[in-house]
Amino acid sequence: MAGRTDLGATMLEPMRSDRLLVVAAGLAGIVLIVLAIVYWVEPAGSLPSFFPGYQAHSTHVHVKHGLAALLVGLACLVFVWFRTGPKRSPSAG
Amino acid sequence: MIVASLISYPRAIVLGLVQGVAEPFPISSLGHAVILPRVLGWNIHQNDPYFVAFLVATHLATALVLFAFFRRDWVRIIKGIGRSLRDRGIDPNDSDATLGWLLVIGTIPAGILGLLLEDKLRSVFASASSAAAFLIANGLLLLGAEQLRRRAPQTEADDDVRIARQVGWAQAFIVGAAQALALIPGFSRAGATMGGSLLVGLSNRDAARFAFLLATPIIGAAALLKLPDLLGSEGNGVRGPALAASFCAAATSYLAVRFLMRFFETRTLVPFALYCLGAGVGTSIYLAVS
Repeated sequence: MAGRTDLGATMLEPMRSDRLLVVAAGLAGIVLIVLAIVYWVEPAGSLPSFFPGYQAHSTHVHVKHGLAALLVGLACLVFVWFRTGPKRSPSAG
Repeated sequence: MIVASLISYPRAIVLGLVQGVAEPFPISSLGHAVILPRVLGWNIHQNDPYFVAFLVATHLATALVLFAFFRRDWVRIIKGIGRSLRDRGIDPNDSDATLGWLLVIGTIPAGILGLLLEDKLRSVFASASSAAAFLIANGLLLLGAEQLRRRAPQTEADDDVRIARQVGWAQAFIVGAAQALALIPGFSRAGATMGGSLLVGLSNRDAARFAFLLATPIIGAAALLKLPDLLGSEGNGVRGPALAASFCAAATSYLAVRFLMRFFETRTLVPFALYCLGAGVGTSIYLAVS
């Protein structure tokens, strides 16, 4: 019985961590894309003070920060897209 | 009428010709763009807004030439990426898809570092003397890569198949991130990626091919992002010379890439390393005594 439980635990562990990773990457992707939009529509002075690029009273719009956030966000979503795709057997071409 | 003489046509042509050669050659185009005007006594500084706008045009021309040179590869690579997205997985036998995602993974760190650090690094390392020092460092980097390189496996496989088999995801990320070194005038983007690719185990020819494919989206995107500078008020007075320089850069880029793809069939990075060491030391001495 103990052996069976251990086996189950070892089989479930990677699945659980994989699912966690996918959920985290999906959330990160969405948050980063929202962040990119915030960077594009808000001047540096109106950003939340904990944002990189925040400058009090600045009217500069951080287009590049937004692009960087968008790139990483898209990368996260592509990762989720692949990880949640149909499983292939290792022998399949 | 002051703006009309910001960069004369002869100077623009010289800068365009040099940019076209220095971008694909692993010798730092940005370093040359900083050093050359200083050595020739031209009143042009790397961070002058009009000069940045001018460089946008020559970089765009280089990116277009690189894209045109490898256009058939890009079509295959983009189709491969499309197939993998449709199938929601990368078939290990689909070298086009694998190479495509290796390029995406390599481009992301370079793109992010470029977006976030470019302005800061440019302003900190804008002097010709620092560019000369980093040119020496670039030469040492190229020599080091040749010394530490792994022996490339001899296979009959197609170029892209070899690259897709030899380069791993983490390695593509690191080689791509190494491109960010090129934000410092004196370090070469092509040198960093070719050197990194040699360490991963690619041959000189495959390393050059991977470096050019990796450089195309970054150079193109960086130029497109700054295109408004050239088309806006900062481009006043330099658009004509920039256009002339672009044609020159396009012509020399094409010849340089063609030359390098043949050169690296049998040769190594050592001649470029020696050039960087010589040019860096020579410039440093010149700047010290002048």
